[in-house]
Amino acid sequence: MIKLATALRRLFLGLVALFIAAPLLVVIGVSFNESRRMSFPPTVISLKWYRAFFTDPDWTDSLKLSLSISALAALVSVTVALPIAYAVWRYRSRAATAMASVGSSLFLLPGVVTALMFSAFWGVVGHVGRAENVVLSHGAVLLGIPIALLSVGFQAIDRNLIEAARTMGAGETDAFRMVIRPAMTPYILCALIYVFVLSLNEYLIAYMVAGFSVQTLPIRVFGSMRSGYEPTLCVGAVIFIVLGLASFWLLAAIGDLPRLMGRHKPLEA
Amino acid sequence: MTTQRRDSLALSVLLSAPAVFLLTLSVVPVLLLLQLSVAHHAEGGLWSPGFELSQYAQLLNPEFLKVAAFSFGLAIVTALITVTIAFPAAYFITRMRRRTQVAWLVGLLSTLSLSEVLVVFAFQVLLSGGGGLVKALVTLGVMAQPQSLYPNVAAVLVCLVYLVLPYIILFLYPALSRLDDDLPAAAATMGASPPRIFVSVTAPLVRGSLFSAFLLVIIFTVGSYLTPLVLGRPQHWTIGILINNAAMGTGNLPLAAAQAVALVLIMAVLFGLARGLGRARDASE
Repeated sequence: MIKLATALRRLFLGLVALFIAAPLLVVIGVSFNESRRMSFPPTVISLKWYRAFFTDPDWTDSLKLSLSISALAALVSVTVALPIAYAVWRYRSRAATAMASVGSSLFLLPGVVTALMFSAFWGVVGHVGRAENVVLSHGAVLLGIPIALLSVGFQAIDRNLIEAARTMGAGETDAFRMVIRPAMTPYILCALIYVFVLSLNEYLIAYMVAGFSVQTLPIRVFGSMRSGYEPTLCVGAVIFIVLGLASFWLLAAIGDLPRLMGRHKPLEA
Repeated sequence: MTTQRRDSLALSVLLSAPAVFLLTLSVVPVLLLLQLSVAHHAEGGLWSPGFELSQYAQLLNPEFLKVAAFSFGLAIVTALITVTIAFPAAYFITRMRRRTQVAWLVGLLSTLSLSEVLVVFAFQVLLSGGGGLVKALVTLGVMAQPQSLYPNVAAVLVCLVYLVLPYIILFLYPALSRLDDDLPAAAATMGASPPRIFVSVTAPLVRGSLFSAFLLVIIFTVGSYLTPLVLGRPQHWTIGILINNAAMGTGNLPLAAAQAVALVLIMAVLFGLARGLGRARDASE
């Protein structure tokens, strides 16, 4: 009975893992496929689409643009969220609590609604088709993520520790340097990476606030869906997968990933 | 200076910049959307401020109502499937050894780095007549002749489930990691089988989280655009596609805004009802 349960559990988890991995494997497979036809599994292995990707300025420019937009959106969103989450925790401020709910609300609207909202907004402002629109819109829509993550981080700080530091004569700056900063660094990194990754892949808002004039990688892929695919787009996807894996492994290496994802009880090795 | 005055000074320094950001980039866009939905639509993609309900009146045609009903139906089915898979998956993951657990978390987080655009594309390749899945089915004799597995509603569902599954597993992870293992253990000593423990002991403890997860899937999928557009047929179009067509295709921003507001309102009413039902059930127990 117990053995059957274990076998069933393994089978279930194996199927889930296969399901999650399947599209990744398809994209990787097509990117190494010699043929122009989109078939999977690949028949003849070749690196020619990688060469095509890195020698075509259209694709490399899109990649650079995507990376800069997402990095800036992550910075904007974490910079706005940090003082709000800190004020909620340190001063139990009602204004800050209200701001935290307003800031998180856009994330809870369907993407197509926020996309339309920002498309109208930038139209009224008279600032259309610019990369900074995407940065600020992503920063605002994804704000809910850093607010949630950083609040969890602050709550995990032991207030007694700060009290103890104060009793021993530490000033506000010392408490910040010795207790708050080291405790918060992994959460800040986690928030930055999360927003970065989500912004990197978002296409609907990017498309509706900047149209085809700001060609981020997802928009270029989106555009090539109409004109017929090229395996080159899979190279872009593979780069994204590698970037995502690398950033989250890095996070797992420097921080306690189960804890960052909200696990309460410590987990032994 | 008193502590109180120092605190309020610190607060205003801390919060003034974020307040300006929120006001311009969250509050104003929402108000603008509301104004837009009652604005006057002129030819050529133009609109002028005003108050008229003609766009909302347009929503009352059977065509729009059909699409709205389909969008919510699709989102609800997606939510049922996703939560059914995500709940046991997240539960098992929280019970794994640390190394395996970290590997699962990294894997789940990494799939978030695949844009919806690329996921839809990958499913297109996978489900196409020349794709590996069809070839395998033909070899196994399940399928007589190679034929494409899309466009149809099943392909749309599979892709939507794929897109939200990692989010929902990660969402359930904290709640499930907090679960006490003693209760299921006690049930086991009293002779309950593992599936029975799962249904009658574990699930009720996390009903609130499951409910939130369910709503979260609906939020993520009810406005879906690209997946039904590419993997579905025109009869599987969603509100998301209508909104996009109105805004980007015909340039009728007021109509698009009215559709968007209607979408959010229907969502709010449904969530309110669901919450009310949940309360009534809790009260009767």
